[in-house]
Amino acid sequence: MINKRHIEVLIQKVLFFLGSVFVLSVLVFYVSRLAPGDPLVSYYGERAEKMSAEEREWAENKLGLKDSIHVQYIRWLQNAFRGEFGISYKYKMDVTEVIGGRIGNTLILGGIGFILIFVLALALGVLCAWQEDKLADRMICKVGTITSCIPEFWLSLALILIFAAALRWLPSSGAYSIGKENNLADRVRHLILPLSVVVISHLWYYAYMIRNKLLEEVRAEYVLLARMKGLCKRQVLLGHCLRNVMPAYFSLMALSVPHVLGGTYIVETVFSYPGIGTLTYESARYQDYNLLMLLSLLTGMIVISCNMLARTVSERIDPRLRMDDRRRYEEVDRS
Amino acid sequence: MSELLEVRNLSVSFDTPAGEIQAVRDVSFTVKAGEVLAIVGETGCGKSVLCKSILRLLPDIARIKAGRIWLNGADITDYRERDMCGLRGRFFAMVFQNPMTVLNPSLSVGAQIAEAIKIHRPGMSGQAVDQRVLELLRMVKIDHPEERSRQYPGHLSGGMRQRCVLAIALAAEPALLFADEPTTALDVTIQAQILDLFREVQAKLHMASIFVTHDLSVAAMAADRVAVMYAGRIVEIGRVEEIFLDPRHPYTWGLMRALPILSGGCRRLYSIPGMPPTLINPPKGDAFACRNEYALDIDYEEQPPMFPVTDTHFAATWLLDERAKGLEIKAPDFGWRDAGETGAKPAAELGSRLVKQTDESAESGSRLVKQTDESVESGSRLLKRTDEPVESDIILDVQHLTHIFPLSKKETLTAVDDVSFQVHRGEILGLIGESGSGKSTVARCIMNVYRPVSGKIINQGIDVCDTKAFRTHKKLLQSSGQIIFQDADASLNPRKKICDIIAEPMKLHRVKPRRGTVRAEAAFWLQRVGMDTAYLDQYPCVLSGGQRQRVAIARALSMKPAFLVADEPVASLDVSMQAQMVNLFKQLQEELGFSLLFIAHDLAMVRFLCDRVGVMHRGKLVEISSVKELFRHPKHPYTRRLVESIPTLDFDRIGQERRRGR
Amino acid sequence: MRDGFQVVGIRQTVKPPVPASGSRRQGKPVISVLVLLLLVVGCLTCDIFVQRDPTYLDLAHSSVAPNREFVFGTDTMGRDIFSMIWYGGRISLWIGLVSTFIATAMAVVLGAVSGCASRRMDGVIMRAVDILLSVPSLLVVILLQAVLGKAGVLSIALVIGVTGWMSMSKVIRTEVRQIRNSGYVTASRCMGGRFFHILWHHLAPNFISSVMFMVIMSVRTAIVSESTLSFMGIGLSVETISWGSMLSLAEQALAQRAWWMIMIPGIFLVTTLVCLTNLGNYFRRRVNERHSNL
Repeated sequence: MINKRHIEVLIQKVLFFLGSVFVLSVLVFYVSRLAPGDPLVSYYGERAEKMSAEEREWAENKLGLKDSIHVQYIRWLQNAFRGEFGISYKYKMDVTEVIGGRIGNTLILGGIGFILIFVLALALGVLCAWQEDKLADRMICKVGTITSCIPEFWLSLALILIFAAALRWLPSSGAYSIGKENNLADRVRHLILPLSVVVISHLWYYAYMIRNKLLEEVRAEYVLLARMKGLCKRQVLLGHCLRNVMPAYFSLMALSVPHVLGGTYIVETVFSYPGIGTLTYESARYQDYNLLMLLSLLTGMIVISCNMLARTVSERIDPRLRMDDRRRYEEVDRS
Repeated sequence: MSELLEVRNLSVSFDTPAGEIQAVRDVSFTVKAGEVLAIVGETGCGKSVLCKSILRLLPDIARIKAGRIWLNGADITDYRERDMCGLRGRFFAMVFQNPMTVLNPSLSVGAQIAEAIKIHRPGMSGQAVDQRVLELLRMVKIDHPEERSRQYPGHLSGGMRQRCVLAIALAAEPALLFADEPTTALDVTIQAQILDLFREVQAKLHMASIFVTHDLSVAAMAADRVAVMYAGRIVEIGRVEEIFLDPRHPYTWGLMRALPILSGGCRRLYSIPGMPPTLINPPKGDAFACRNEYALDIDYEEQPPMFPVTDTHFAATWLLDERAKGLEIKAPDFGWRDAGETGAKPAAELGSRLVKQTDESAESGSRLVKQTDESVESGSRLLKRTDEPVESDIILDVQHLTHIFPLSKKETLTAVDDVSFQVHRGEILGLIGESGSGKSTVARCIMNVYRPVSGKIINQGIDVCDTKAFRTHKKLLQSSGQIIFQDADASLNPRKKICDIIAEPMKLHRVKPRRGTVRAEAAFWLQRVGMDTAYLDQYPCVLSGGQRQRVAIARALSMKPAFLVADEPVASLDVSMQAQMVNLFKQLQEELGFSLLFIAHDLAMVRFLCDRVGVMHRGKLVEISSVKELFRHPKHPYTRRLVESIPTLDFDRIGQERRRGR
Repeated sequence: MRDGFQVVGIRQTVKPPVPASGSRRQGKPVISVLVLLLLVVGCLTCDIFVQRDPTYLDLAHSSVAPNREFVFGTDTMGRDIFSMIWYGGRISLWIGLVSTFIATAMAVVLGAVSGCASRRMDGVIMRAVDILLSVPSLLVVILLQAVLGKAGVLSIALVIGVTGWMSMSKVIRTEVRQIRNSGYVTASRCMGGRFFHILWHHLAPNFISSVMFMVIMSVRTAIVSESTLSFMGIGLSVETISWGSMLSLAEQALAQRAWWMIMIPGIFLVTTLVCLTNLGNYFRRRVNERHSNL
């Protein structure tokens, strides 16, 4: 059933996406160039400080830093359309290659973390709603509130202190031990601590959301009708209440991507985990412009598309949002 | 006939932080197979709780304190949740009050019905289930069942949704159906249809049912037997003709006198004073005593037991005690009592007599002596009321009012379409129509909440729609015209004290309080609308629906308005409260002489209050004339339907059953 | 003798109005408030009871484990952690408050404007907020921080405040919309209530509780952001003592396995955050009289 209206909506969405990405690229480009700091330091390292004036000039010309910012931006844009995003000053490699080497690690950490959060939050939320105000619910709520308050970096430090430094059970940094790049067990061992930080620090926020939404649903009148039919409580909770909560949960989870991603970045830095997070951090600190541009754009694109996904999901799946046109006119009043 | 359901000495309590609420107290009754029992009483008397406690659908804080319940001879009092799941739907089912919230909004109607079928017949094939869904939809008379079954509740109207709920309830062919005020939340014309449907289905399936309602006339239409409930107890129970023709409990008398149809021509509706008690620490003795003009001394001391009147008729009042024989207290005259007792006159004649009676409003004005003798009323007023107000000056002139709401970029909704009418000084004009007919929009346009798309509203000589004229006379208009909203609940700020709420318009217009302080002024108006001044420092959340509406009236009147708009002020209240409010409006209008535009969705109340009535249908004003004229000669088909939909007591049936000597 | 069998009619059994039924807001967060008060008072009055200068580098006593002289030990630069906690707390809380003030001001203005604006205007503002929300705040903070140059207490607060107002303004906008469409606002308008009357008497008292929740949560977020930034070395420098910057020495602490340098500031940090959350939840919890139908 693809009609004109669907295509219109699709075009609208694509335009919105491209517009957002464009605005983001301008923003990042100008802000990062305006920032004080010497990009040559990241290219030449210590040597940059000892350079003579001529050498500096030559180097800046070579990296295209001499022209005005607008010219630089347009040049960047032209190259970007051809798929060339320049080289990383620090790694002296094409930025796509630099990112390509790291992105897998982040996807593993973020992706597994995200799935775990999604599933565990759902289970925990349903459990709490089922046991409303009973001991289990209260205990989980208390513990959950505390865990959700702990800043990620400190949780990482505490876990490293306990499991890596004191107990020596798990490694404290990196994605693999040197020379064991293809050893799955080794990789898993390296993943445990960062993954648990990502999950623990986000889990309760979403579980609590599910719990509260479910408690709201459970008070709706349709629950009475469903029970009157002869459904037992479990069937009503899972078949009706949870079902009604799911669209909101899906869109919430789509919106959560930036948060989980941001969290992953911090965790990566603390654990010196070779992913995009550490890369972003480094590139921002050391004015590695080309790398920073592409990383910001990548992150931004993921976030924007997730937001759009969330919006579409909540508009499409939930028939409640589409109904009761008549009620809408209540909102139109005279200001 | 065997007993299908038997309830003995059932007591149900809620444990709340404020104390134990004894919602149902020592209730006993039986229902035979195929029989319809109506449970009647005001809101808050425990009717709903009684039904839900039998089905075990109450929240955890409720518990059955005492008593036993038998279903088909089996004691189900101690059944556990798992056992109850097997019974619900299959042996008993329930239809709820508000069809708008009771269906799951994110499942299609068909799926919800199918679910009810599949629970009790797990082996049924998908195709058979679909067939059964359509069959059920046809049974509840839903047009285009195939399409409707795929729609979501949001696409269906209230009446349609109630039909679907009924279909769900009937899915497993239960032996006993509970109907908890199934028509209350619907439009009047729809109410009658749903009620007919219930009767038809009940007759077709030979199903027993328990019909809960606050409207005696509904009970008279639907039931074989009637139980009257007050403050958690059954105070009178008997066959329908026994209850209607020979009621014994003063509360039943009160309920019957409050029926608009029986107050016939009286100038004032009867209403039971006060309201049902809260059931935290219920009063000692008979809970009804403090509203009962026939209360005996002993009523304040001791709870009366059930006295048998006949084999099937019981009432709990001390008036039936041996010792009270000498008091000679008789039920008040309801208009047909004498005829009923002799049984000589054919029932049909009886009915027609009643209709005639209600017509001749002026003549029978003094029937109920106590309530109607109002010496305050001046002769000139009476004259004005019966005649058309011809020469009085016009306070509000609405000319060709049209208002359109944009629904989306392309669609619009014409809520009000070319409506013209006038309100005269000191007149009460009624405006009637079903929900969505644009009555509220008219009110809001008049009060300048919406700016009409076209048309003129001339309020006291000022064109409200002209921005400039409106600006210059803003103060005058806003203080001399006041509005009372349908939802008193929402129109009172929950975080303000009653005193501040009533004083708000006075403060806004910097009116110098005539009684010294603003607080004294607020207290005065609160008493004027019949409330205790102790409420001044309370917040709206402690008030009942009727009390909130009274506060809203007090707020509006405190400005001494020349013109008052009341937007469905009684719609959310039950019958006895409605009567109280209508009386209050009438009394205040007579004393203060303001003009009133009274908006309502049914005719029953309007006819006692208004001088003239306008009928709105789909945004158009289809008919406007004096009350008398409208009831005698309704011209527009919609008006005719409205007049017909006024619940009438089914005297044919009552009379026949009486003659058969059932 | 008719023992009570005479008609007495309606007798007023006057019942005073029932006071608001036992509120369901059980469990006021007494402990959380007390702990918070203790922390705040401690930070404000630390001049009196702290003897050591928190900035004094006592290299002879660097990385000393907690003992009788140094209750919480010293850090790798020989500073006394006990005094650092209190002086650092001042900075952390101060940043939390200032940035919340900035964020709240922006959120209230934009949320209220959007809530009161026409539908189209509202749509534009909310779309813009959505775009801003979609930019990972950490990235923005890093960039802004880079623009503003060397981080000071105020510049950090500013940056955190400027990046933290979006979700709050969305909540305020929804609340304003909801209340604006409610009956009592319409009633007040009919009675001639002007914009500011309605704002003050009707809107403010009704959305104050949800705004309080957002404000308190925003203090929490600000403190977390500050400590994270300082820890990562893009916030406050090591010389400016805050709970976050104390933790920026964590790497060396890990190497020396000096647990006290990590655990002690962290415990103070987390305690503050938990107390703030409890307080915030108290404001959010609506009085819910209804009971579960399940």
